[in-house]
Amino acid sequence: MRLRDANKEALIREKAIELIVNHGFDGLSMHKLAKAAGVSVATIYIYFKDREDLIQQVFTDESRKMTEATLRNFDPDAHFDEGLKRQWINRMNYCLENPYSMTFMEQVKHSPLVERSNVDTRFLQAMQRFVHNAIDRKEIMPLPVEIYWSIAFAPLYQLVKFHIAGKSMPGRPPFVFDEEKINLTLGLVLKALKP
Amino acid sequence: MNDDKLTDAFVLVFKTNINTPRQVKSIGVTLDHCPEILKWNVDLADIDRVLRIEATHAHCGPVIELVRRAGYACEELTD
Repeated sequence: MRLRDANKEALIREKAIELIVNHGFDGLSMHKLAKAAGVSVATIYIYFKDREDLIQQVFTDESRKMTEATLRNFDPDAHFDEGLKRQWINRMNYCLENPYSMTFMEQVKHSPLVERSNVDTRFLQAMQRFVHNAIDRKEIMPLPVEIYWSIAFAPLYQLVKFHIAGKSMPGRPPFVFDEEKINLTLGLVLKALKP
Repeated sequence: MNDDKLTDAFVLVFKTNINTPRQVKSIGVTLDHCPEILKWNVDLADIDRVLRIEATHAHCGPVIELVRRAGYACEELTD
């Protein structure tokens, strides 16, 4: 019988994300995780029922953190240009501060292991309201949500990836996604979404 | 799982040789009849076939006894 220890639990979660990012879901076993986190297998079972439970809990926790980071100082009723800029900054900061988490969240999206439907809806609600306001006020054109998302956010995530990797195309100097480049890209994205 | 943190359950972890879903079911009948056991599961994906129990007490002895009597190996998973 062991007592719960919040620091230990946080360390286990952090190492689980690293293992999944570096070795995929199959690369994560309770034994490997115990080794990586420097705790016993028994300790891991104090906090988690099994591997699936661990992955699900880590995902739930990471989505909560991501939601909080993304909604910081964000007003869903703001003008679209201003709101999208806030979203870009928040999302970029989150990705830069939690690069493993960003990759993990992307892996989860394509995995049947994780139930995503019971996740915090605050984020979705805020983003829906933001977009519908903008459409009603004719700040952007109405689009299928997949197309909207791909134009509004995919450029951001791709450039953040180049930035984190420190390289882009062969023969190019290291890519730095600085404020000038952010504003340049954001301007093009806003132009593309205008009615 | 998250709500478990609000309760005072004791988590006990054992290494067993419970190998199949069918065996899990059979041991489950025994465990479900035990009022001190609040929740349990066997992780068949793990090499140690870990039996994890949330109980109202912190004593491993009675659980080991119970599982062994049902015909399985069972020992406390230690550090």
